[in-house]
Amino acid sequence: MASSTDARRLTLPEIRIGRVLAVLAAVAFWGWLLTRWINDWVLARIGIGPGAGVHFLEAEPFETTAERLAASADAYGPFAGVVDWVGSVVGAVGVAVDIAPVLAVGAWYTIVLTVVSIVLGLLIAVPLSLVRVYGGPFRWLALGYIELIRGTPLLAQLFVLYFGLPFAVWLHGVETIGQGPIPDQAFIIAVVGFTINSSAYQAEYIRGALESVDRGQLTAARSVGLSQLEGLRFVVMPQTLRYAIPAWTNELVYLIKYSSLAAFITVPELYYRASRIASRTFEHTAIYASIAIVYLAIVLTATVLMSRVEREVAIPGLGQAEGRHQGKTEGERE
Amino acid sequence: MTAQRTDERDNERRRAEHEPLLRIENVWKSFGTEQVFRGIDLEVDRGDVEVLVGPSGSGKSTLLRCVNRLTEIDEGAIYLDGERVTDADANVNELRQQVGMVFQDINLFAHLTARENVTLGLRRVRGFGKSEARDRADRELANVGLSDQVDSYPAQLSGGQKQRVGIARALAMDPKLMLFDEPTSALDPELSNSVLEVMERLVEAGMTMLVVTHEMRFARSAADSITFLEGGQVVERGPPERLFERPERERTREFLESIYG
Repeated sequence: MASSTDARRLTLPEIRIGRVLAVLAAVAFWGWLLTRWINDWVLARIGIGPGAGVHFLEAEPFETTAERLAASADAYGPFAGVVDWVGSVVGAVGVAVDIAPVLAVGAWYTIVLTVVSIVLGLLIAVPLSLVRVYGGPFRWLALGYIELIRGTPLLAQLFVLYFGLPFAVWLHGVETIGQGPIPDQAFIIAVVGFTINSSAYQAEYIRGALESVDRGQLTAARSVGLSQLEGLRFVVMPQTLRYAIPAWTNELVYLIKYSSLAAFITVPELYYRASRIASRTFEHTAIYASIAIVYLAIVLTATVLMSRVEREVAIPGLGQAEGRHQGKTEGERE
Repeated sequence: MTAQRTDERDNERRRAEHEPLLRIENVWKSFGTEQVFRGIDLEVDRGDVEVLVGPSGSGKSTLLRCVNRLTEIDEGAIYLDGERVTDADANVNELRQQVGMVFQDINLFAHLTARENVTLGLRRVRGFGKSEARDRADRELANVGLSDQVDSYPAQLSGGQKQRVGIARALAMDPKLMLFDEPTSALDPELSNSVLEVMERLVEAGMTMLVVTHEMRFARSAADSITFLEGGQVVERGPPERLFERPERERTREFLESIYG
């Protein structure tokens, strides 16, 4: 008994420290990002703050420290390697500070691209999965769409949309495109591409969840007098979407990272901006490590938010074993 | 137009001539090569309780499902209150509103509370307002002894409580006929009693019921008539005393003895 209390006394502060660190990291990252956005797009316009794209921190102290460490490394004898390494880390921090304003703008594109695409994709995926499972003769149509999209490379899909089909030219001809808050044609086409692609994946995740809802639920809905569509809408879907949250989060995480493929059709998102700077400065390690941290921070935030959503909408017995077996199997015959 | 008018007159005439509430007429049904019904005839009068018994696979549950068209019949006709409900153009959703169904596997809506299970049909099918539906649901749940569980989710209820919610959900639609598909066979015996009590009270209140059950005590005390189904046909039908004491067919006696065990 005593030992278990001891164990608890040991682990509790550890958990707290982990939580505190995570919260601090989140506050630092999102604090920086939001301040950057607000500064660049709101305050700079009305003449407050350092101005759009101007560094919050100077990179120079990091650079000089790094140089000094590298130059004096030999003097530390056996620790020369360590000092040298520390020097290069400090140098990388300098690079990160230098490109931070650009990364903030790129992160905005990445986040908007992902969020808009996944939401539009979901709006397509729900009816698509319903047709896939309950659509009778149209099931094959849904299946065909899903398999075509899932079976071909996302990059190829983007290229077909951007270079192959004449959408880019049409959109370019529209005057309002690229003006003010309206994004340019590459961004719009990227959203279309990601929407189509993620709708197919999301439809498959939702189908899996749809099939884990007991068929008796729909039978019961219909026996009350609801139509098939109403039964799906009010009884089957609310349960399905709850089951689908973990898999759906997976798709969200993928899309955050795969949105980097938009760089290949010239959308200036995170990866595009980083790769442009890297090809100019040759600071590949520092630059890609920096964007890796930004992606990681976005992904972890998305994961935490989604697990909070899952907890928020949880219903006793649903999504757990007892919920799934509530009705057991339903046969046509007794 | 004329055909429809003749139909309507036909319906009225039937009602006038003491049409039974439920009339099943020469129903045939097969699943693939398996013949489930070979000409089933059955009539249930208003306020009567008909219990269907028969060996596993004899189609008792399927017959219930045919009545509210969860399963379609191949041939024959089913009339509810004089209306031919098996017509292709009959309004299925309206029919199901008039026929309450209670399932063996209960099938409460898993994401809704007991109260919401009852209000869903009231609001979406019968067009009740929010508070109206809520009041009605609470009344129905009180009638089945679940006033203190209105906010519980299905997973938080016992099997017997769940099934009583299932009954309340069906009754809230003010059905003319209630179908019970082995309502207690998934429950522990001590939990079944609470469900059987609710059913007995329904019988007293004069509800017309078609019940598939193995609860012979209930059948004996509550049924006006028992139908023994086997091989896709009605083997024998009669009041419980006669069927239990002096069955006409040897097969009926054998079956009833086997479940009395």
